Amino acid sequence: MASTFSGDETAPFFGFLGAAAALVFSCMGAAYGTAKSGVGVASMGVMRPELVMKSIVPVVMAGVLGIYGLIIAVIISTGINPKAKSYYLFDGYAHLSSGLACGLAGLSAGMAIGIVGDAGVRLWLSMDSLSVSSSLPGLVNPEQNRVQSSETWVIAGRLHLVVSTPILAASAV
Amino acid sequence: MAATLGDSSSWSTALVKISPYTFSAVGIAIAIGVSVLGAAWGIYITGSSLIGAAIKAPRITSKNLISVIFCEAVAIYGVIVAIILQTKLESVPSSQIYEPESLRAGYAIFASGIIVGFANLVCGLCVGIIGSSCALSDAQNSSLFVKILVIEIFGSALGLFGVIVGIIMSAQATWPAKSILLDRI
Repeated sequence: MASTFSGDETAPFFGFLGAAAALVFSCMGAAYGTAKSGVGVASMGVMRPELVMKSIVPVVMAGVLGIYGLIIAVIISTGINPKAKSYYLFDGYAHLSSGLACGLAGLSAGMAIGIVGDAGVRLWLSMDSLSVSSSLPGLVNPEQNRVQSSETWVIAGRLHLVVSTPILAASAV
Repeated sequence: MAATLGDSSSWSTALVKISPYTFSAVGIAIAIGVSVLGAAWGIYITGSSLIGAAIKAPRITSKNLISVIFCEAVAIYGVIVAIILQTKLESVPSSQIYEPESLRAGYAIFASGIIVGFANLVCGLCVGIIGSSCALSDAQNSSLFVKILVIEIFGSALGLFGVIVGIIMSAQATWPAKSILLDRI
């Protein structure tokens, strides 16, 4: 009866809450990033419709955060099997911490992507009224530099997440 | 089993006293209640912008109803998962309600409900905000509608993530009576 179930009784509570935290907070970050940069893209697109498809990059990066949360939540939730492998409170707390790490890092990365994406996309409007495909070479380079620097902020926000989750998910396994 | 009770931590002594059916019921309620909250929030954000923009540009109304439909889908995800979770509930003899196996099933349903509820809440909000800016930019320039709709599709994927993880986690909700019968066979 209980002999097939080894480990502490309430440890799965913390494990499942860790999986929940991983997904829910990452989705919060992804939603904030998508919504905030989407609003920026829409307001910019009214003035410059040809630049909208180029400005989808922050939205895609914010969506990827949701996928990170999904992966970690599935890894944690399939690792909670007290009949196959004993599941002590240590494992429960480790899963909770890895889920919180992934989720809260995703939340902060998503907020960063949203704010930077919104501001970066509106940078297009602060250029001159000349379009990006202008034939004046002197004005094309500064535009590209400004856009590239804002995209590196977006990438930096994502790298933080990529580094933190494998470290803490490995501690759970 | 008596050795693990109360030995582990103070959280355990409190959690072990709570019936798994309490956790399951609260999980199912959160799955549907918070999802519908997210859908409603998204619909009112989109709808109010849509109606306001349609005063000057009445052509946008029928196309932009798709944003409202995306928000509604979030509520439907909540309903589906709540129905799936309540079919996972089984009645267990009262001597076995506090078995470790049934406690784990209760926690799995609770966590699954929280995941689906809150993922759909933020998804509904996201789709609502983007839908409102889609309506406003469509009123200015109708070529923008499809482009902003692409962003909205990225937003609605978040609700799907919640449903997928909720269903995967609900597969963990196995109650002891079933496993005892299998042991006897």
